[in-house]
Amino acid sequence: MLLLAVTVVVCLFIGSKDISMANVYAGITGSDAGNADYTILFKIRLPRCILAAIVGASLAVSGAVLQALLRNPLADPYILGISSGAGLGAMLAAITGLQISVMGISTMGLFAFIGAIGTVWLVWWIGIMAGSRQLTSLLLAGVVVNSFFSAVIMFLTSVMDSSSLQTTMLWLMGNMRDSGSGDIVLSVICLAGAMAVLYRLSPQLNILSFGHDDAQTMGVNVAFVRLVSFATAAFITSVAVSLSGLIGFIGLIIPHAVRLLCGPDHRQLLPICGISGAIFLVVCDTFARTVIAPQQVPVGIITAITGGPFFLILLVKYSRKVSMGSK
Amino acid sequence: MISAENISFGYDSRNIIENLSFRFDAGDLVAIVGPNGVGKSTLFELMCGNFKPRRGVVTLDGRPVGAYSHKQLATKLAVVRQEFIPPFGFTVYETVMMARTQYFDSFGFETQKDMDITARYLDITQVSHLAARRLDQISGGERQRVFIARALAQETPIILLDEPTSFLDMKHQVGIYDLLKRMQVEDKKTIVTIIHDINLAGQYCDKVMLLGGGSNYLLGKPSEIFTKENIKRFYDVDSVTGRVGDIDIFMPVGVRARTRAEAVV
Repeated sequence: MLLLAVTVVVCLFIGSKDISMANVYAGITGSDAGNADYTILFKIRLPRCILAAIVGASLAVSGAVLQALLRNPLADPYILGISSGAGLGAMLAAITGLQISVMGISTMGLFAFIGAIGTVWLVWWIGIMAGSRQLTSLLLAGVVVNSFFSAVIMFLTSVMDSSSLQTTMLWLMGNMRDSGSGDIVLSVICLAGAMAVLYRLSPQLNILSFGHDDAQTMGVNVAFVRLVSFATAAFITSVAVSLSGLIGFIGLIIPHAVRLLCGPDHRQLLPICGISGAIFLVVCDTFARTVIAPQQVPVGIITAITGGPFFLILLVKYSRKVSMGSK
Repeated sequence: MISAENISFGYDSRNIIENLSFRFDAGDLVAIVGPNGVGKSTLFELMCGNFKPRRGVVTLDGRPVGAYSHKQLATKLAVVRQEFIPPFGFTVYETVMMARTQYFDSFGFETQKDMDITARYLDITQVSHLAARRLDQISGGERQRVFIARALAQETPIILLDEPTSFLDMKHQVGIYDLLKRMQVEDKKTIVTIIHDINLAGQYCDKVMLLGGGSNYLLGKPSEIFTKENIKRFYDVDSVTGRVGDIDIFMPVGVRARTRAEAVV
């Protein structure tokens, strides 16, 4: 937690414009309330950092939960079709050009959120129809729905006009946008609630890693735990996606990296994932806005470029003690 | 006590288990034997409540299995299944501790009592020295002991095991059954286990249920059930019998050995 706070503060002061402490202080005390340094720090950089922290934490935690539920080390937050559902939602928003705004959330975010939740619900429903005991059918449903929606997205891309194409492509690549304080308060509440729920279920998630039958005979209400944790993970992923677009990789590698270092016990894993996911994305986003400043790189690209090699180093270094899913 | 009255179950229109009844009392060590595909594992799932019988009812201490909540059932009955290694590297200690999950404090952490119990069963099953190792880093025999330790740590009166020794060498097979016998005698546990090796079943168990599919089954003492005739009838295998003390030992005789024997005669 402390590390996260330090990271946020450090990243606040890194940027395309140097900020003078004196001016900021003057802004806080009110002696020079309107100065540019103060405004940049508190009105632009701080919300963006907090947003990055929320999104990073959400994706990492939800990735860890889905890996446990599906007993699949390759699972990530987008595996049940959230990414394509959200993408389709965002695309529809761009095409129709609708401007609806609820509680300060942008049209695109709103549509993405609806698309994501709708898709997860659809996949879950198909999975249930195909037999609730088989996780494979749920995974397959996710993959098929994902590629179907991706095809629709491709089709829409090919017929779209170029200006809305640019917006949606940027969105699809994952981008920290400037957002209002309404967004932030709302999503902090969502994340805190979801974390509390998931943390309560974390001992049960441990047992579920051993499979449906074992969990059942050790006193876990499997159907209940699965439903609640799936829904919660899907919910925070959808929130994250609607805030920032599709940021890949965090949900896959952060849980693995944390597991390599701290072990698979979910009671530790979930909080540590949350914090390290947050730190990782805050750092990546700082890179994203400074590397080719004043231009910005979509943060999704940074996460993949820096995260990939970092993860591979971890994997090789610890591989003697670790096998990634032997069975 | 675990019992069943006229239970039937099947996966399609055919019933793989038909009109089966039994009663295993507290402190029994029971073997379920029979050839592949006669419903041993199905019966196992019916006993631990994962499947519901089409007809009839399985009861635990006089109450239908289906009437227990998950948590209540987990205080009555613990299960050792054919081994599965999860994709994440849980340690031996963490695995055994999971059996105590429903007794954790309100923050989801183990109490001193849970630690004592876990340590005790790691010790009894002789895997204490492996506590910090990961499940995929120990041998099959050790892993099976860990899963038995986990079942014991649930501290239930009944334990069900599905072929606990199928991949183990002779030494470890005997080791596991010695351990189960000790649990039966010292802790008065009811132990029901699926076994493929009828010679081990004959040595250790007080009751044997020999399944032949459908409504075809026998239930009784090993000495009554394990006869040359029954083995021919249920397994369709000829066997030679030997006797060690008061225990009958069976050796299957294949075509090759049989033709040679006939040639000699």
